[in-house]
Amino acid sequence: MSTSFVLVDRPEVRRLSRSRADALWDLIQVLSGLGLALFLAFHTLLTASVLLGARVLDAVAGGLEAIHLDTLAHWSVPVLFLVHFVAAARKVPFRWREQQALWAQARTLRHADTWAWVFQAVSGMAVLLLGVIHMWTTIGAGAIQAASSAARVQSDGWVILYLLLAPLGQGHAVVGVYRAGVKWGVFQDVHRAQVVRVGLFVLGGGVLLSLAALVRYATL
Amino acid sequence: MSRTLTFHIFRYNPQDPASQPHLQDFSLEETANMTLFIALNRLREEQDPGLMFDFCCRAGICGSCGMVVNGRPRLACQTKTKDLPHEITLLPLPVFKLIGDLCVDTGSWFREMYTRTESWIHTNTPFDPTKEEARMDNAVAEAIYEMERCIECGCCIAACSTARMRPDFLGAAGLARIARFALDPRDERTDRDYFELIGNDFGVFGCMGLLACEDVCPKNLPLQNQLGFLRRKMGITAIKQLFRKD
Repeated sequence: MSTSFVLVDRPEVRRLSRSRADALWDLIQVLSGLGLALFLAFHTLLTASVLLGARVLDAVAGGLEAIHLDTLAHWSVPVLFLVHFVAAARKVPFRWREQQALWAQARTLRHADTWAWVFQAVSGMAVLLLGVIHMWTTIGAGAIQAASSAARVQSDGWVILYLLLAPLGQGHAVVGVYRAGVKWGVFQDVHRAQVVRVGLFVLGGGVLLSLAALVRYATL
Repeated sequence: MSRTLTFHIFRYNPQDPASQPHLQDFSLEETANMTLFIALNRLREEQDPGLMFDFCCRAGICGSCGMVVNGRPRLACQTKTKDLPHEITLLPLPVFKLIGDLCVDTGSWFREMYTRTESWIHTNTPFDPTKEEARMDNAVAEAIYEMERCIECGCCIAACSTARMRPDFLGAAGLARIARFALDPRDERTDRDYFELIGNDFGVFGCMGLLACEDVCPKNLPLQNQLGFLRRKMGITAIKQLFRKD
């Protein structure tokens, strides 16, 4: 009896490279994004430790440097940053027609998750620029210390960069983790509202913590 | 006290060279239990016999009357006017070919999607008409039935930003169709076979997880869960293929 379907053993359907590339880029996007989100959580806690006192931050940073975690972060984070940008940019509508379609859709649909993705794309571009400036000026600038961080925040205009970078980066990370969870089926539909509430709580806490730390650096 | 509803309805006939796309205003007194289907029929009967829109079952079963209601794709027959403000804007579903006014051709889109997803049971088992049908586990049958509830209204496609930007994207309806066959034990296709169909940016990896499909589906299909299920399945298949020599 004749078969009614395509068998993968047929040589002409073995050319999978392009298809596999899309899947692998998608995996790279989610893994690099989760790695960066995890780093950002640690980074937020480290910088916020200044709220417990300059000595606490210096001690925590010194401890991390003693086990060379700073060195690990200094080469792995820029690599993850670049890889994540390349992987995620594949989905960003750079063409004018795509932009028009997306904005028209977001405006008429008035759908929170669609707007969250627009925020994701816009904040991603902002974080790319601001994050590169931040990394360029901090990596290789010596040991992490409360005094040097305070001096940076207090020098001309830098506080504006951090006032933008902290909430945008954290917003991008929280929305990204949520989106990765729903895309890969980690968060099921029955838990979606709950996950959104937890995400907003984490985001609110993170932004408050960062802003409080910035105030501390500005007045240290 | 009844309201006077103001409808802003998209009018355009692509067959008429003189026709220009525009919004036309209509007024109508709201009546008890009025749906958009009832309102549109009254407008056609009482004010403009040339108004084009689709309907068939009037009960949310046929999926013909999908349209964009105040920005959201919905079924006209399931939408009560009392749940809407007095100003109602009606547009045809985007993505699909416009026939005229609020009518779109969802049929051609779904026909092509069925071809692309090879939307039939693939089996090499010879059919024996004298044999009893093979038994299926009840839970599996119910899971398959859940996905078969799709009425092909096209609302999920119209609400999908990816489908708006990339016309070749299969959309939630297409991917849910694959999920239905992936669940079916009678279908002998392997994960690699499915990967051939949807393991790229036109398929499951093109989905950006905006979930408008899930949120507008008039049948409340579990699209989010199915898209996650397929993405994991196809992601694992891609990793496995990396380590295969053939």
